[in-house]
Amino acid sequence: MSLEVAREMLAVEILRLRRNRVLMAFSALLAIGSLVLMFCFEAVQHASSPATNAPAGGTVGFDHAVRMLGLMFGVLAAALIGTEAGTADLSSGVFRDLVATGRSRLALFAFRAPAAILVTLALDAVAFAIAIVATFLLAGGQPDPTLAVILQSAAWIVLSTTMAATLAVGVGSVSGSRGVTLTGVLGWLAIATPLLINVSSLGSVREGIMTVALSSLMPVSGGLGASIAVPTAVAVAVLAGWLAVPTALGAWKTVTGDA
Amino acid sequence: MTTTANIIETHGLCKHFGRRQAVADLDLSVPRGCAFGFLGHNGAGKTTVIRMLLGLTRADAGTMRILGRPVPAERAAALARVGAIVEEPNFHRHLTGRENLRVSAAARGPDARRRIDAALRRVGLSERADERVRSYSQGMRQRLGVARCLLADPELLILDEPMNGLDPGGILELRTMIARLTGEGRTVFLSSHLLDEVENTCDAAAVIDQGRLVAQGPISELVGGALELDIGCDSPRLALDLLDGDPAIATARQTADGLRIRLAGADGVASINERLVAAGIGVFRLAPVRESLEQRFLEITSRVGGQS
Repeated sequence: MSLEVAREMLAVEILRLRRNRVLMAFSALLAIGSLVLMFCFEAVQHASSPATNAPAGGTVGFDHAVRMLGLMFGVLAAALIGTEAGTADLSSGVFRDLVATGRSRLALFAFRAPAAILVTLALDAVAFAIAIVATFLLAGGQPDPTLAVILQSAAWIVLSTTMAATLAVGVGSVSGSRGVTLTGVLGWLAIATPLLINVSSLGSVREGIMTVALSSLMPVSGGLGASIAVPTAVAVAVLAGWLAVPTALGAWKTVTGDA
Repeated sequence: MTTTANIIETHGLCKHFGRRQAVADLDLSVPRGCAFGFLGHNGAGKTTVIRMLLGLTRADAGTMRILGRPVPAERAAALARVGAIVEEPNFHRHLTGRENLRVSAAARGPDARRRIDAALRRVGLSERADERVRSYSQGMRQRLGVARCLLADPELLILDEPMNGLDPGGILELRTMIARLTGEGRTVFLSSHLLDEVENTCDAAAVIDQGRLVAQGPISELVGGALELDIGCDSPRLALDLLDGDPAIATARQTADGLRIRLAGADGVASINERLVAAGIGVFRLAPVRESLEQRFLEITSRVGGQS
């Protein structure tokens, strides 16, 4: 496949996602809206009672923002967009027309995850920019995050977005159903994961949970699963597994299934 | 451009769904440069054959060649000059017509992208190309589907039940478009259960019944397997007696103003006329009565059905 073809295939995957207004509105609400709400809420709290509520910005506010983007609402936005990327061709019936062009099914699959990641990162970039501005504007005398922490946090959010979007694309490509994928992926990320993390009897098995591995690599403090210590090598291996398995399953189903 | 005589060839093609045999030992030959009808009842296996040809589902046995290339072994090269609409043309409804063509063109390559405007013009959708597909009528979606096929500059168009859901105007438009496409030397492979449409649109056809090919060839041969003659004459009784036992005649019966005879073979019309005139019978009409494709289709498919 030539570079020109690859670039165009990625471009149309992105076009397909960004032209879906409902999807983009919900995803923006999750990634950006939730962050704006958080800063507004904490700013109002601080203004109403400065003695008992810390300023909305500074290091504390930045940490909150990074966790929201990398572990909570940003991840949910990535899952929404990944689900659409993984299922839209199948559920609309366009996949069979694309297969009938003679283009390899693997190539048709290969651009779904990168497109979902790029579209989500565009929203994350806006959210992250808002977070940085709010962090400094609303610091109220609190220490500000260093440039190194900001850059590490940005990289970690890219990682987190990549993981969630790829998971959703893989599951979506296997199931072919938006409903099943959304229920499965969002249910796993928003409900099952917090529950499992709190089941201490699971012990080190919890290190295999994607969110736990992500938390262990997070450059800021706190967060879901942060209490579980995971060696960096283990975390990297866990994340590689979470990246590889859904991708492999999605590719296998796309290549072998009836169109 | 490849130059094999048949643009589609299958040999021994089989497909099962569980224990049900959807396609059985199918040997199909579609000549190049014509409109070819692929006839069958609903569920006869037409779409399954098309899906196998396009690599949408695997064949259990048999070989297929499209444009002279074996599929699925050389599927990408074979399908590069094939445009297809399977079952119904599907689109991303939130994208415009033009954007949907861009999605398809991206999979085909830069040449296809350059053909988008021309394809839209050709199907008469230029003015509505920037509207979302969700606002399109069924006929417009069908035309957009044809435009998507044209992105490949196809030697072969495979259209699965293209008349479905179209109003009479839409059917006429599509028929005209198919005639133009074949006039350009392209081959149109058209599956349908609408027999009169195939008879009006196609040069040749194949009939599939319960997954088996029961007939194929030029439409004239398919419908003309048994030629009947309508003879208008002034002494029908005498004419019937005269022709009784003639080896060129399979059956004969008297009608109000003459005879209706079924010929045993393609020849014999001239000698029948000669015998009648020589016997002093005034012949004022000698017209072939051809079966419609529908009559022929029902005859051959019900025969197979009766055997199963």
